[in-house]
Amino acid sequence: MEKTPEYVIEMLHITKEFPGIKANDDITLQLRKGEIHALLGENGAGKSTLMSVLFGLYQPEQGEIRKNGQPVKIESPNDATALHIGMVHQHFQLVDVFTVLDNIILGAEDTKMGFLQKKNARAKVKALSEQYGLLVDLDAKVEDITVGMQQRTEILKMLYRDNEILIFDEPTAVLTPQEIEELMQIMKNLAAEGKSILFISHKLNEIMEVSDRVTVLRKGKYVGTIDTAGTTKEELSRMMVGRPVQLVVDKAPAQPKEAVLTVEGLTVPSKVHKNDAVKNVSFTAHAGEIVCIAGIDGNGQTEFVQALTGLEKASAGKITLCGHDITHQSIRARSQTGMSHIPEDRHKHGLVLDFTLEQNMVLQRYYEPRFQNHGFIRFDAVRSYAEDLIEQYDVRSGQGPVTIARSMSGGNQQKAIVAREIDRDLPLIVAVQPTRGLDVGAIEYIHSQLVAQRDAGKAVLLVSLELDEVMNLSDRILVMYEGEIVGELDPKKTTVEELGLYMAGAKRQGKERETA
Amino acid sequence: MKEKTPLMQRDSTRSVLASLLSILIGLVAGALVVLLVGVFNKSLSLKSAWEGIQLIFLGIVSTGRNAAGGLTFGFNPVTFGNMLFRATPLILTGLSVAVAYKTGLFNIGAPGQYLAGTAATLFIALEIPSEVVPAWLIWILAFLGGMAAGALWGAIPGMLKAFLNINEVLACIMTNWISANLVTWVFDVSNLKNTVENTKTAYIYKTSFNGVQTPKMFLDKIFPGSQVNGGIIIAILLAVLMYIVFAKTTFGYELKACGANRHAAKYAGIKDKRSIVLSMAIAGAMSGAGASLYWLAGNTEFFWSTYQSLPATGFNGIPVALLAVCNPIAVIFTGMFMSMLDIAGLQLTNLTAYNEYITDVIIAVIVYLSAFSLVIKLWLGGKAKKKAGPKPDANAEPAVPAASAADGGKEGKE
Repeated sequence: MEKTPEYVIEMLHITKEFPGIKANDDITLQLRKGEIHALLGENGAGKSTLMSVLFGLYQPEQGEIRKNGQPVKIESPNDATALHIGMVHQHFQLVDVFTVLDNIILGAEDTKMGFLQKKNARAKVKALSEQYGLLVDLDAKVEDITVGMQQRTEILKMLYRDNEILIFDEPTAVLTPQEIEELMQIMKNLAAEGKSILFISHKLNEIMEVSDRVTVLRKGKYVGTIDTAGTTKEELSRMMVGRPVQLVVDKAPAQPKEAVLTVEGLTVPSKVHKNDAVKNVSFTAHAGEIVCIAGIDGNGQTEFVQALTGLEKASAGKITLCGHDITHQSIRARSQTGMSHIPEDRHKHGLVLDFTLEQNMVLQRYYEPRFQNHGFIRFDAVRSYAEDLIEQYDVRSGQGPVTIARSMSGGNQQKAIVAREIDRDLPLIVAVQPTRGLDVGAIEYIHSQLVAQRDAGKAVLLVSLELDEVMNLSDRILVMYEGEIVGELDPKKTTVEELGLYMAGAKRQGKERETA
Repeated sequence: MKEKTPLMQRDSTRSVLASLLSILIGLVAGALVVLLVGVFNKSLSLKSAWEGIQLIFLGIVSTGRNAAGGLTFGFNPVTFGNMLFRATPLILTGLSVAVAYKTGLFNIGAPGQYLAGTAATLFIALEIPSEVVPAWLIWILAFLGGMAAGALWGAIPGMLKAFLNINEVLACIMTNWISANLVTWVFDVSNLKNTVENTKTAYIYKTSFNGVQTPKMFLDKIFPGSQVNGGIIIAILLAVLMYIVFAKTTFGYELKACGANRHAAKYAGIKDKRSIVLSMAIAGAMSGAGASLYWLAGNTEFFWSTYQSLPATGFNGIPVALLAVCNPIAVIFTGMFMSMLDIAGLQLTNLTAYNEYITDVIIAVIVYLSAFSLVIKLWLGGKAKKKAGPKPDANAEPAVPAASAADGGKEGKE
């Protein structure tokens, strides 16, 4: 155990127990000055608990924390602030109706005789934002700016308080690829200026790109700390999951058969602006293939899926599913015609969070004769069905079928939705960002399930923002840009760079594009 | 997994205990008020303060005073029957609030729905001539009419919520006052004002003037001399019906899913707008039924003149529902309890120098505490866990990654 002051923060042998469970078991984390140190682990590996200990929200049973080699006690977030430790939470802690500047100075305001003095603060924030390349409009209200700008506001908040140790809790989960790129650059700038950064993530690409060293946790235990330069994604994922993980989906070439879904000239009006969010989109998805709609967030994918699944109305166009015109059908009718839907937002659409797991498992089919008798729910049938799904798809939860969905981890919530939708055994599966926010183990599992469904003769329509997922999983890529399909690509014959050009609107195929 | 959770750790046990605790604290607070008033008021002796406290806890079994002037207690069929009679509308307005709450809606519109039910019931019961139509048929029409009027009045805020996303609390408050004024006006221009018993003014005829009244269903044999009638049985049946609908049927599942997460319900193909309107209509129907049963008793008179206030029965549905943690079966008991407090208030007035407003204090304390019953429940939960000792929590399976327990409320954050 080194005790040289080369470390700004050391967490030594931290153990934190909760009733019945050791969330952190003898974990050591040492942060050097000026480094970007990634903290890697699956959902539930104990990353958040460890950071809460550092931030003074929890008191550890054992272990000590040192700053610059000196033992310190952190008993509340105020103590952490006094030690110049700052944190950007995954969900931003901003007042929506305040301006950016007001948010930055909130809690650390300069006052004179009880009046706010914003002049000095404004100058300081301006200087900081130029120094680190954090571009924000100080007078814009937070509710009006993009998520990326909100995050920059959070970073400026930490810098304004002269924090030396910056914690980023899964900062990229809410960002678009461009914003992620910018954030990576900002983090590098910060480290170059001598700030020490703790970067919590389970995204291997980002860790490989930006971090100097990685500490890996698994199920509350310390696995190891290694230099990023001397490792690979495969090794990191093996350390994180505890077994070798297949990062590249293993699949045979697709064998497309008959058309399952045909979309012709679909146009959907936008809710935020006057133009159409989806413009004249046409394509066909066949049985036995995974068709992916790729694109940068906000280019009409959400509206397209809502119109396809019936959540919103299309203004023009025709949708044919399994030979039936479903353009004007209700959601229930579409679903019964043969469409299952893994929704983009699992909390808003995918689950009734206050219902139990078993109630959620029958959300799409509670009305089927199997689960009801003259309007009365057959509770035994629901229970045994839920138990089957839980077993078959390895959905983990505290109390099995009667667990409240809200209390489950994000990965298992998503697994429950995937289980429910796949098990309906319908010809078309619409999967929207099916792996968002999940760790590699869960991603691997969901990808293999989708491939298995394809091989079983289903048509899978994948909508994804993750380039890796798009390239890995799909048999055919349709790129959506500003509501239009601007290109149809074969993942085997294209590169990430080319795909990126289409996604950014810099390149597009002419009208000669076939509608397959 | 399959083994039963110990009684004390069950969620339902804790709910019941929390409600009982709220009631107990409320009664103790009422007793304290009685004591304080007794101590500081010269016209009241300590003895009468003690009597007041006794009546607060035991008013329902008070049988008056004996020859020596002491309070006597025992089974009192009159007060018991009256308690059941007064509980009837309370159970139904309680149900009204409870079923709405189960579907994620706060029905503060029970008073308005109650008034709408009142107007419809009285008009049908009094305007259809009983010489032409048999009285039992008029009764049924009046009852169904009251329910329908309440349902309609409940459906209005439901529609505003479903189609225009207007908060149902605001809409309910406004429809309450619209109802109050509309009903006043309707009776003002009607010819139903009681001119026979002209010692009293501004009252509407009792329905018994038209020969329409709820059958006693032998309850008058059990509780002779009281006002009780078959209405209480109908109220209990409706509570059981609501329980079955919400706990056992796919229809109830749809309404609850829609209340808990409208977007997810829509995603699953449930007609969300229809569900919201139906939830409010059912809630309104319960309030309307409460009004119908109260006025169809035949011995109740509706005071129509300048009806510028909202009926307390409607608002009292809120504490009835909250104390019952919105369980329709529990509503039967909490409704009876609230009417028992009414009776205790009457006994205080009749037998001591206190007035019945003391019971309003008790109800007020209980209302506050029932809002806190969730806190009490959590507190009870904490105690139960401590008792369970340091052995691993039965809830946490070893297979679960540390997260679900450790990160607690933070989970599901992405």
